[in-house]
Amino acid sequence: MRQFVAVFVDALRLLRARALFWITLGISALAAVLYLSIGFDENGVTFLFGASGFESEFLREGSPLAEMFYLGIFSMIIVNLWLSWIAVILALITCAPVFPEFMAEGSAGVALSKPISRIKLFFYKYLSGLLFAFLQTGIFCAIVFLAIRLQVGTWNPSVFWAVPLVVLMFSYLWSVMVAVGVRTRSVMASVLASLLVWFGAWIAKTVEEYAWTAAEFGEVPAAQGSMRLTEAEQKGWRDRYSQVSLAYTLLPKTSDTVNLLQRLVTVQGQKKFAVSELLNLMATGAPVRDDEVEEALERHSVGFIIGSSLAFEAVMLAFAGWSFCRRDY
Amino acid sequence: MEAAAVEIEHLSKRYGRFEALREVALSVPRGSVFGLLGPNGAGKSTLVKSLLTIVRPTECRGTLLGERIGHRRTLAKVGYLPEHARFPEYLTGRQIVGFTAGLAKVPAKQAKRRAEELLETVGMKDWADRKNGTYSKGMRQRVGLAQALVNDPEIVFLDEPTDGVDPGGRIEIRKIIERMREEGRTVFVNSHLLGEVEQVADEVAIMAHGRIAESGTLESLTRRDNRYEIRTLGPVPAEVRAELEGDGLEVAGDRIASTAADAKGVQQLIDRLRSRGVVIREMKELRFTLEEVFLKAVQSVGKEESR
Repeated sequence: MRQFVAVFVDALRLLRARALFWITLGISALAAVLYLSIGFDENGVTFLFGASGFESEFLREGSPLAEMFYLGIFSMIIVNLWLSWIAVILALITCAPVFPEFMAEGSAGVALSKPISRIKLFFYKYLSGLLFAFLQTGIFCAIVFLAIRLQVGTWNPSVFWAVPLVVLMFSYLWSVMVAVGVRTRSVMASVLASLLVWFGAWIAKTVEEYAWTAAEFGEVPAAQGSMRLTEAEQKGWRDRYSQVSLAYTLLPKTSDTVNLLQRLVTVQGQKKFAVSELLNLMATGAPVRDDEVEEALERHSVGFIIGSSLAFEAVMLAFAGWSFCRRDY
Repeated sequence: MEAAAVEIEHLSKRYGRFEALREVALSVPRGSVFGLLGPNGAGKSTLVKSLLTIVRPTECRGTLLGERIGHRRTLAKVGYLPEHARFPEYLTGRQIVGFTAGLAKVPAKQAKRRAEELLETVGMKDWADRKNGTYSKGMRQRVGLAQALVNDPEIVFLDEPTDGVDPGGRIEIRKIIERMREEGRTVFVNSHLLGEVEQVADEVAIMAHGRIAESGTLESLTRRDNRYEIRTLGPVPAEVRAELEGDGLEVAGDRIASTAADAKGVQQLIDRLRSRGVVIREMKELRFTLEEVFLKAVQSVGKEESR
């Protein structure tokens, strides 16, 4: 425990010393304040603490859909754009030197000559690297939690699901960064590798979605709307689906992991948050739930999304841990 | 008899075809200051790193503080200052010592007290709360020494401890090493600076090309192949000189050099000179300097290598 605390305290001090950590924290706070500035009055939604806004029949002070709208902004815009995209890039850049610097000549020797096994030291270092994402998301969610109470009037602890989900998503990329960092001791190589895997995961997901839509609905997206496939073409997509989606299965599900938040966040403590309901509300003014869309969004189980991603992470960590333990310093 | 602090029976390390350490055998007595000398690239750091599990030896038989080399828990009784020690720039001197204490499982309260004492000992108390990034090389080495001692080790490995340190700092470090010996610790100093080691070490080993070329106490190494020098009043007469040179002795002006195990061995030569009417002005025992022993050992290994 003493050793674990030593490594974690060191990681905290490292973060405190990095300007990017404070910049990211500052932007997080700003985003949280902007979120807090969204409110509801008797006419509709207000922005920037009432400086502007729009009238809505459904979205007004005390209306049942106000909380859903407010959570929608949190889970679909802020978490998806800021916490799981820009903040993750900044976290990766900040944490990238952790292993290469630790393994530099004259640096690793002191730690390795202590009564701590290499594999333990490796995992302590690895876990301490998750602190950035944990602290950023934790602080952000705490502000959001208070904002919901202030603007909607309910305590909604389900927003804290964002913390483990964003940390989990970051951990997939962090494992790649660690594996490449341990192997090459290069900060640049590890950043590029993790971004490459992230990009690859995004491409794989896009391809899987295309194949699934073609196989299930016989439609593919086209320049204008969608294009109907023939039955033979649709059957072809069905037959090829498992091959086409192989990369998706093997790679970490970065966006799907964060999107699990939409399944876990609850409205008014019990009602499940529905993306289609919110989208229809925004598009037509009527909060109609589309079961087909909801089923499509939830076609992969939580176990598959997290399990297969963790399997990828386990492979990366096994390789990184093996390299870390085997090499001479 | 107390077991040696380090007892290496056989230690080899290969990197592909390159042999960094070749069948090294070494013994370091407890409570002594042991100097491992060698030119750059001789394998000194690899040897220390092998003992501390930082490098994985290819073959290794031996003990460290009575336990097999590589025994993890024994490392709790070991202190280490690496060559070119690099501690994080964002940590203060106090935090560096505290971090090492944490890894060495020193209880928090004890670590705090010990850090305080050690930072004072190494003369860093007033700068203990400044960031490592603001320290000079000498200050970093001092903090490095403090962290090496925080777990109250029985043996301390110092790899080139005076590297890059100014003369004043070197004297300070030497005093710290002497204090460690007084406290009963074993100090293993790696260095290529002979003068530094000569001043503090009880025993030395000379390493070259991954092998131990010589080892022993300073006394035994510098007295080996003893020579005596006799000086005469005025130059040695030509006929006597020719006679002595014919017998294989070195003669230059008023000096005659002879090898002998002890002073008894040169009495015959003195009698011989006196019988020829040569007046003897002075006779003294000539010892090899550590530098001469070092060069001889390194050259001898070098010659064997080139064969």
